[in-house]
Amino acid sequence: MKELNKLFNRIVQRVNINLRELNFDVSPFAVELIPLDQMSKFYAFYGITPDHPLDLHFEHSAIAGSYFLGKSRVRNSILYKSDIRGDELKRKGCDVNFNKFILTLTKDEIIDIEDSVLIKTLVHNYSHDPETPEKFFIKDTLAMDYVNIHGSPSDGCFLGPFATVDLTTMRDCVIGAYSYVQAGEISHLKVDPGTIWVNSHNNFNFFYKYPAEALEHYVSLSPDKVPWGILIDFIDERKSEFQRVFDYVNLEVIESIPKTASLDRYAVVLPVIKIADNVLVAQRAYIENSNLGKGANAQENCFIINSTLEGNNVTAHGAKIIEADLKPNVFVGFNSFLFGKKESRLTINEGCVIMPHTIIDIEVPLEIPAEHLVWGLVRNKEELAENSISLKKLSEIKSIFSQGKMCFEGNGAMFVGAFKERIHHILHANGAFYKNWENAGHAQKNQRLSLNTIQPFQFGVNEGMYPNIRIQP
Amino acid sequence: MKNYLVKDLMVPISEYAAVPVGTSLVEAIWVLERAQEVYAVSKFQHRVILVFDLDGHVVGKISQLRVLKALENEREFDNEIEEMRKFKFSEAFIAHIRDQFSTQKKIIKEDILREVAAKKVEEFMQTLTPGEYVSEDSAIDTAISKLVAGAHTSLLVTRNEEIVGIIRLADVFAALFHEIVSLEEGHPGFPASPLGFKISDVS
Repeated sequence: MKELNKLFNRIVQRVNINLRELNFDVSPFAVELIPLDQMSKFYAFYGITPDHPLDLHFEHSAIAGSYFLGKSRVRNSILYKSDIRGDELKRKGCDVNFNKFILTLTKDEIIDIEDSVLIKTLVHNYSHDPETPEKFFIKDTLAMDYVNIHGSPSDGCFLGPFATVDLTTMRDCVIGAYSYVQAGEISHLKVDPGTIWVNSHNNFNFFYKYPAEALEHYVSLSPDKVPWGILIDFIDERKSEFQRVFDYVNLEVIESIPKTASLDRYAVVLPVIKIADNVLVAQRAYIENSNLGKGANAQENCFIINSTLEGNNVTAHGAKIIEADLKPNVFVGFNSFLFGKKESRLTINEGCVIMPHTIIDIEVPLEIPAEHLVWGLVRNKEELAENSISLKKLSEIKSIFSQGKMCFEGNGAMFVGAFKERIHHILHANGAFYKNWENAGHAQKNQRLSLNTIQPFQFGVNEGMYPNIRIQP
Repeated sequence: MKNYLVKDLMVPISEYAAVPVGTSLVEAIWVLERAQEVYAVSKFQHRVILVFDLDGHVVGKISQLRVLKALENEREFDNEIEEMRKFKFSEAFIAHIRDQFSTQKKIIKEDILREVAAKKVEEFMQTLTPGEYVSEDSAIDTAISKLVAGAHTSLLVTRNEEIVGIIRLADVFAALFHEIVSLEEGHPGFPASPLGFKISDVS
């Protein structure tokens, strides 16, 4: 354990050095961050598949309960129950286009994690930094529970619980709890908790910030305490179900899964479920008493309970759907929390876009009209009216618009178009459009995946650390 | 061309409106009124009140704009504006939300006026920055540079460490204008009174 403590303290200092200009000290948050004694209790595991290069490199690191797929390197880092998914990394020979530049990659892209602590964090997609197209780096970074680092290289950053940074290179930034940032490139920026910011330079700028008091009810963070709030409680209440799937080497195969769909071996599935063709259920997803229609997906850390998804629904990383009925082509963004109740169900009509990090928490039934964009906190009809807009109306905005706490500037049609295009890309990548051996995506390719496990030192000064390992074909 | 020095154009500190910290805004305005009544050297009235600390040092100033800002009392809104800039919204967008805010909030209300009148000057005075001082022996060019660089309406004039006066934008501008006009006087196409007033009106 001695080496693990030393490593942890060293990383904390490195992050602090990077954040000194923002006067942000991660030490108080780090104190309760990881139960270091847990680091020797969980095995790490990795996927082997013919579809992705196998090149894993672990050096002087602790990686308890974490999952790796594709090409990645972890050095001087602590990863706890994190997913490092390299199945969308760029490949050798592919062309990267950025403005007028075209660059051909000379090697496969790698996820390179160094001097960082990631807790229950998802790392996915590929580097969107044109300056480092072959390296998706995460360096001197501390990410708390249920963070999504999605296509976002990071250097010297702190990410609060449930934060998402999407398609953005970040340097020396503090991203508050439950914030979502998609802005291309940010540096030396402190983002308050509950900030939703989508910026495309010269095209559009979307901004919303949760009222602090209301957000604290769902996610709270203070020094010397582990994060708490409804979101944390919700996950903790279902923790034991995950324990079961991780404890057993061989679980019963669910026969009713179509051959074109993929149900990950590390997903929790509780009766009664119905899974249609081309459905993807990723690891650490939780499905209970729900129907997933053709082409729907449930990505990592998703919870779908007592709900129906009619088809081609995206449930992005960390989204939670409870007591809800989603018509076809509904997109639910990262870490959204759609909290219907048994007597007050939520209905979302066709083509709606639920922005990342949206909270819908209702006590009476609520129906969202088709083709609407919804954001922020919605607890009743009045808040829905304030925090939603029809995609048609949004498309007509040419310059400036504000509604409630939401601010928008730029071209509304481009904003809607960008979302629609991305949703289509996600469905395609996940295999929703697979037919007659064409358009295969994660749902089909994941069926050719097997898993191996690796174990940490159990005793001595290296307890909790993992041996240095290089895994290649 | 006359080589003006700062001391040629400054207003001596003794003729200026000045109040100690702890003075209420309404009292400070009365002091300004009285100072304006007795000041007859220039046609331009004093528009700034100086604030002294207990040791007699000038620690800040209150301009008319500062008083209006105190009336608006929109610190929370200022934070919002700052945040909009931080998240890359344009000045046009900021002007839009500023308009929205001002239409929602009425400033001239009895309770707001009473509250502002009772505020202490140190609560909203503008603290002085290094660029707001100029030596009395400096050329007027130095004062112009500092006024322009800091967008100031006046500068404090020093003699060694002591503040001895104020040099005002209006006086500097008038002197400069006088010089420009002097250069052009007698020039063939130059009208006697181009804007319909006499040169003496601005000096």
